[in-house]
Amino acid sequence: MYLASLSISEFRNFAEATILPDPTGTTVITGSNGAGKTSLLEAVGYLATLQSLRGSPKEAMVRIGAERAILRAVTMVGDRSMDIEAELAASGRSRTMVNRQTVRRRADLGEALRITVFSPDDIAVVRGGPAERRRFLDEALAVVAPKTTLHADETEKILRQRAALLRRAGKRLSPEVEATLDVWDARLDLAGTALVEAREALTEQLAPLAEQHYSRLAGKAVDVGLHYRRSWSGTLRDALAASRPDDLVRGITLVGPHRDELELTLSGLSGRTHTSQGEQRSMALALRLATHQLATERLGSAPVLLLDDVFSELDPYRTRALLEGLPPGQSILTTALPPPPEVAAATTYEVKPAGMVNALVSERGDG
Amino acid sequence: MGVFSGPLQSLIDELGRLPGIGPKSAQRITFHLLKVAPEDALRLAQSIIAVKERITLCTRCFNVAEGGLCAICLDDRRDITSVCVVEDPRDIVAVEKTGEFAGRYHVLQGALNPIEGIGPDQLRVRELLARLGEEGIAEVILCTNPNLEGEATAMYLARLLKPMGLVVTRIASGLPVGGDLEYADELTLGRALEGRRVIEA
Repeated sequence: MYLASLSISEFRNFAEATILPDPTGTTVITGSNGAGKTSLLEAVGYLATLQSLRGSPKEAMVRIGAERAILRAVTMVGDRSMDIEAELAASGRSRTMVNRQTVRRRADLGEALRITVFSPDDIAVVRGGPAERRRFLDEALAVVAPKTTLHADETEKILRQRAALLRRAGKRLSPEVEATLDVWDARLDLAGTALVEAREALTEQLAPLAEQHYSRLAGKAVDVGLHYRRSWSGTLRDALAASRPDDLVRGITLVGPHRDELELTLSGLSGRTHTSQGEQRSMALALRLATHQLATERLGSAPVLLLDDVFSELDPYRTRALLEGLPPGQSILTTALPPPPEVAAATTYEVKPAGMVNALVSERGDG
Repeated sequence: MGVFSGPLQSLIDELGRLPGIGPKSAQRITFHLLKVAPEDALRLAQSIIAVKERITLCTRCFNVAEGGLCAICLDDRRDITSVCVVEDPRDIVAVEKTGEFAGRYHVLQGALNPIEGIGPDQLRVRELLARLGEEGIAEVILCTNPNLEGEATAMYLARLLKPMGLVVTRIASGLPVGGDLEYADELTLGRALEGRRVIEA
């Protein structure tokens, strides 16, 4: 699938803009800081997910002074043309239509537009706390094994009920609390074990791909480790029983999928604490490219790859390696620096500060 | 707060507090009542008062009743050896419509939900246990909702009741009759497969 055109009006700092990305290759969006490069990716992201990639509320994406922003994309899925149109209201109801049919939930967007996003914030997956890495795994699972989201949702709900029960118990294990805890633990054992097994299977699939992508970026074979570490051993049911006295005192559940860690290592050293910023950025990028590859295999065609500000903190060698080895399919990337001469982009757009978008003629001249 | 004053606005406000009724519906119903014959409006008002004054919970099963026992508990043709445990009186209506169940009911008045402060003590569990001893019940059908809280409640009751030597069953999850497999969600279809049975031939 690919994005054939994107037109926006009254979105962020743009009055009107249209881009026609290269269907099969790389499209580069250049411009100075604050010009609105990321906003163009945000528009694509909104049409694919019905939310802002930056976590902004809908009204914040409407140009100041305007009543509504209109986003429109035409995508090609196989030989079918799909028309996605979203209207964001500065106040009141926003709506989205796919082929003129109103869409209410993200799931109903279906396959009209699928994306993989790499943004500068992705470095948190490597540098941040374990919660960032668990979220990374669960988001990847939602794409490559959608059924497992049921286990993730159920685990989260049970943990909330269990926490409420522990708090209400006030550190005392009355027979009533004990009997109901047994029930929540049995349910958590089922949902939590299924979730963790899915995460472990995904980790195993990702590990060799992440190593491949990282080694290619680094220009040498690097030992990249992805290891899923459970916060317990044996069965989850037994572990919950063993930790119950502590859980009661602390008022929280101390073992389970919500306490697990995805350990990342580079040549045996912790990716979180023993690596440089550039290595961390490469690692985050390698993880994203690995999930992109799995998603492509699972969906049968590559999602649109959106790379926001991808060259910052990568040295010229890694930049070149990234560009030369971009996966097959459509990718759109933004950069404040002039794109390196190696960029095999047939299509380049320059975003001017006033919200104007100009198509630049490719230097390679084959566009 | 409203555009209208006096009784008109207070009726709009009262109706607007009801579940599923927004400000516009409240206004439309109010103006409708303004137009209907006085006796029709009076009948509605009296029905509301009668419900509040006369409807109580059944002293045996906690279904809605008109003083004392509910209509089902009063019906001596019902099978007293099996009891169907539900969360809410409205669930009784749903089960009754099937015509498949001839026993009595027990309404828990909710499901386990620690976040909302509902534990076994807030549900009519103790009363259920008391009935089991008194009424000669042989089978308990757990008919709570197939969501997280309903399943947890069913599991809790099953653990409590099984050691008492009763037949404890849980309603099956499955596919809507007359539907198509391709439209079933994966979870429901998965459950239906899990609960498959040998076909009579």
